[in-house]
Amino acid sequence: MKPAKFDYVLPATLDAAIEALVASNGEGKVLAGGQSLLPLLNFRMARPAVLVDLNGIKGLSYIEERGDRIAIGALTRHRDLEHSPLVASRLPVMSAAMRHVAHLAIRNRGTIGGSLSHADPAAELPMLSAFYDARISVQGPAGRRTIAAEEFFVDALTNCLEPSEIVVEIEFPVLDHDGWAFEEVARRFGDFALASIAVSVRRAQSGLKDARIAVMGVADTPLRLREAEQELVAMELNDRTPDRFSEIVVSKVSPNDDLHASAAYRRHLLAQLSRRALKTALAATERAP
Amino acid sequence: MSSDRRAQSSDVLRPKNVGAPIKRTEDPRLLTGNGEYTADRKPDRPLHLAFLRSGQPHARIARINAEAARLAPGVMAVLTAEDIADDFKPVIPFSRIPNYYATPIMPLASKKVRYVGEPVVAVVATSRYLAEDALELIEVGYDPLGAIARAEMAVADDAPLLHEEAGSNILIAREFKKGDVAADLKAAAVRVSGRFEMTRKAPLAMEPRSYTAEYESRRDAVTLYTSSNIPGIVRDAISESLSLPGHRLRVVAPDVGGSFGSKGSLYPEELFICIAARKLRRSIKWTADRLEDVSSSSQAFAEIVDAEMGFDANGVATSLQADVLGDVGAFSIYPWTCGLEPVQVVSFLPGPYKIGSYRGAVRGVATCKPPTGPYRGVGRPISTFVAERLMDLGAKALGIDPLEIRRRNLVRPDEFPYRIASGIIWDKTGFIECLNAAAETAGYEQLRKEQAEARKQGRLFGIGIASYAELTGIGSRIAVAPGMPINTGSETAKITIDSTGAITAAFGVASHGQGLETTLAQIVADDLGTRFEDVRVIQGDSDEVPMSTGTYASRSAVLGGGAAKHASKILQEKIKRVASHLLEANADDIEVAEGKAIVLGTDRAVSFRQIAKAVYSDMKTLPVEAREELTATYTYDPINGTTAAATHIAAVEIDPATCFVKILKFVVAEDCGRIINPMIVDGQVHGGVAQGIGAALFEELIYDDDGQLLSASLVDYVIPSAPEVPLMDVIHVESESAVAGGFRGMGEGGTIGAPAAIANAIADALSPLDIDVSILPMTPERIFKLMEQAKLNQEEKADE
Ligand SMILES: Cc1cc2nc3c(=O)[nH]c(=O)nc-3n(C[C@H](O)[C@H](O)[C@H](O)COP(=O)(O)OP(=O)(O)OC[C@H]3O[C@@H](n4cnc5c(N)ncnc54)[C@H](O)[C@@H]3O)c2cc1C
Repeated sequence: MKPAKFDYVLPATLDAAIEALVASNGEGKVLAGGQSLLPLLNFRMARPAVLVDLNGIKGLSYIEERGDRIAIGALTRHRDLEHSPLVASRLPVMSAAMRHVAHLAIRNRGTIGGSLSHADPAAELPMLSAFYDARISVQGPAGRRTIAAEEFFVDALTNCLEPSEIVVEIEFPVLDHDGWAFEEVARRFGDFALASIAVSVRRAQSGLKDARIAVMGVADTPLRLREAEQELVAMELNDRTPDRFSEIVVSKVSPNDDLHASAAYRRHLLAQLSRRALKTALAATERAP
Repeated sequence: MSSDRRAQSSDVLRPKNVGAPIKRTEDPRLLTGNGEYTADRKPDRPLHLAFLRSGQPHARIARINAEAARLAPGVMAVLTAEDIADDFKPVIPFSRIPNYYATPIMPLASKKVRYVGEPVVAVVATSRYLAEDALELIEVGYDPLGAIARAEMAVADDAPLLHEEAGSNILIAREFKKGDVAADLKAAAVRVSGRFEMTRKAPLAMEPRSYTAEYESRRDAVTLYTSSNIPGIVRDAISESLSLPGHRLRVVAPDVGGSFGSKGSLYPEELFICIAARKLRRSIKWTADRLEDVSSSSQAFAEIVDAEMGFDANGVATSLQADVLGDVGAFSIYPWTCGLEPVQVVSFLPGPYKIGSYRGAVRGVATCKPPTGPYRGVGRPISTFVAERLMDLGAKALGIDPLEIRRRNLVRPDEFPYRIASGIIWDKTGFIECLNAAAETAGYEQLRKEQAEARKQGRLFGIGIASYAELTGIGSRIAVAPGMPINTGSETAKITIDSTGAITAAFGVASHGQGLETTLAQIVADDLGTRFEDVRVIQGDSDEVPMSTGTYASRSAVLGGGAAKHASKILQEKIKRVASHLLEANADDIEVAEGKAIVLGTDRAVSFRQIAKAVYSDMKTLPVEAREELTATYTYDPINGTTAAATHIAAVEIDPATCFVKILKFVVAEDCGRIINPMIVDGQVHGGVAQGIGAALFEELIYDDDGQLLSASLVDYVIPSAPEVPLMDVIHVESESAVAGGFRGMGEGGTIGAPAAIANAIADALSPLDIDVSILPMTPERIFKLMEQAKLNQEEKADE
């Protein structure tokens, strides 16, 4: 279980990193925290000719408030997000989700840019970027462009980056909500989710005026359930709402059977989590001033 | 938390060390990264090995093209079965029992491959990286012969034969019989039955298998450093296979990072590395990576048991019958044979119970998977699972409490020694005492009340009990594995005081995490009369004792400990004789303690150092004939062995939302005889139970119908981690056994009781839904499916 031969470069600037990728003729790969890439290298499932290590580039790790957005540098570690007071106050759903990301040692190294680029369908940060309508800034030989989170994830473990593009920053719009919840079931704490849902709502005089719903672990990419959001807003709030909501959420997904869970079990989990999440979110709105 | 009920010592006058919770001598070096494992060896310019493994489950090897690999950078040799055919004799896992076919152990697949992961070609190169690069250049042409992925497929009429010479895929078949089971079952007031299964499991030691063959060209000798827990057996087998006498083949198991049985057989890679070292006249290293370890080390369980138990109206079990189908994988293992695991299921099935009549039949069938082998508890985790499920089913059918039905069936104190229906004899052990102690500590009555409360609220709360007994410290009269020709009934201790007065105790046992360096030193310190910290224990080195086997089958405290006691006594007598000259006193008036010989009731004393000087260096003090060499060797054989027993009680709650099982309480009451070190005993129980939780809830090697392993990494092969293992209460019922020291073996027990106790607790929790538990692990997925099915059944009932 040793990687095939590769060259290694440690550029000091983003431009130099992009140059190195271009020079590799599509045979290069970016190295961030290495938590997902190294196992792939060791299994020889990835065999890049060049590893372009981003860790020598200064200024790629930050969490900044920019008006109604929080900007996060691509090299920011999971652990920094988990412990950031700014994230806790402005992006509370993310803050709650971060402790579910892998185990401590992995959170110390893993990065947000790496997690998004790796595009695991059961990873928290890709789901949160869909939930928050995050905008992903990437830089390549043709310059910089910004991609909406939902367009970024193409398939399981597949993103929409061009060969020599690097994720540099992710902007999360601060979300207006009166209540929210994040629910996840993983086999053991820190494992990839079997099913998970994030919900937030804004209360109107009667009913809701706005809702956000994202799920993961139940499709090849994280999903924003926009139809379900509208149906939830249209719903009358009563005792039966959480059950009804859970039916709606489950009706929007069609998970596959895999080694870790059958489709039926994942649907069952999602139904349970949806009900619980909506109850929590609604309860919070009652307490909201 | 643990509480002790320690018996008074009888044969050690003032034991200071035996019974004390002494911290392990091994730990400082292991915890600070100063252990020396096989992979840490640094021989001169070592070469590195990598194996090309079969990707085919069952195929004829049509051709191998390794030319490109031979020319690759750093490659010293590429070897196939053909290239080494003249360098060894196959090792045969022989057994005297009938209806058994011994598949030979070959270092590399010859002519055919029989499972995915079997080594086919070996590359020896200057680094592991270059060796793995070269593997990619090798082309093997295969003619597929049809996979046999499951035991049921192996016994089908049209199944291809995995070993044509065997004439059948059934490699072993056996039947135990006592009494007229059919008649007794017919007469029974209640009969309960089921088809039970424990799926394949990986032993999964933290350190993967690892071998370093150090070659000494000036005398064509090999020292094999191996992660084995049977270095003595490995030495003898390789010596024979390579025609290399023992003084040119030393086998050492240095620090070993766990085995749980997976390092307790001779492996093809182990044999191969010695062959290659001699052929290339170089030292060679190999350590399995995790994928290799999971997919080629011996595996556990993989058995389906159809069983039935009959009870009389009072809840006394009268009769038991079982048919075991064991999926033993592609090969028999050396020396234990493929019968080891499945045959022990039928040997131990009656367990600690007085069941009158019995029929237990077993078939071990070849499939395209790695061999099953010894795994902590061998056979007993599943025999206990089956028997304990049947006990609970019987209790339910008769409306008797599960605790009470066990009381009515366990062998009682006045009935020992007791021969159970399969022929095993239990010596006097605290069966009932363990049951009672566990129930008391668990607060059984209170738990049942909590359960009634929980059920009223619709919660799924269950309590499970499992009692078992096992044979440990087995002597020469009983074979560890059926019909096996090697002697596993004795162990040797050699204790020496050298010219500096230092004490070294050498053993053939081979600790791989059990803490034997500590416990054996405790015994020597007490019986020789010295300080614990002055005893150095050496083990796992074939050069230290003439013959040994190793550490397995819960034997080392009993056999190694017994040898230590006897050798210590012999050496103490020598010390007394020498001291009697030096102190001018009668030997009988001399007491040995704290590393000194003292004339009783006086302050006249000589230290071991002074004694050693007098014997070895100072030629004036002693007459020549009194200069006895200060060394004693003793080989101890307990002849039969001794019983160990325990009762485990688990309380669990199942979350209907997630179908996860939460263990609320876990209690173990065990009888391992006289305790040498309570801290180590607790640690062994804790670790064993953790593994039992893995077997009960998490761990499963999943093979598809093409014999491909799907759960081959630790992302997919899920083991319990710290949060999944609850705090547990361990109670010791310390009834002394009849062997030297009064010890009983206890290294395996935790793994035996836990799966059954948890299975019973889950079944109890789900009983309001009319759900039975008959397969382990009970994953959330399986619980989900059972609950869905139960819902459907109830709806159907309602419709009727
Ligand atoms: C045992 C284990 C459990 C885990 N559990 C979870 C979990 O529960 N939830 C979860 O979310 N994650 C989990 N992870 C994954 C972990 O969060 C990873 O750290 C993360 O997915 C990848 O981040 P990284 O920085 O390590 O990326 P790397 O491993 O360095 O890279 C991953 C991929 O992204 C590419 N890449 C990296 N950075 C960039 C960039 N800036 N621009 C373009 N491409 C880039 C790399 O080329 C590579 O293809 C787990 C990992 C392990 C090993």
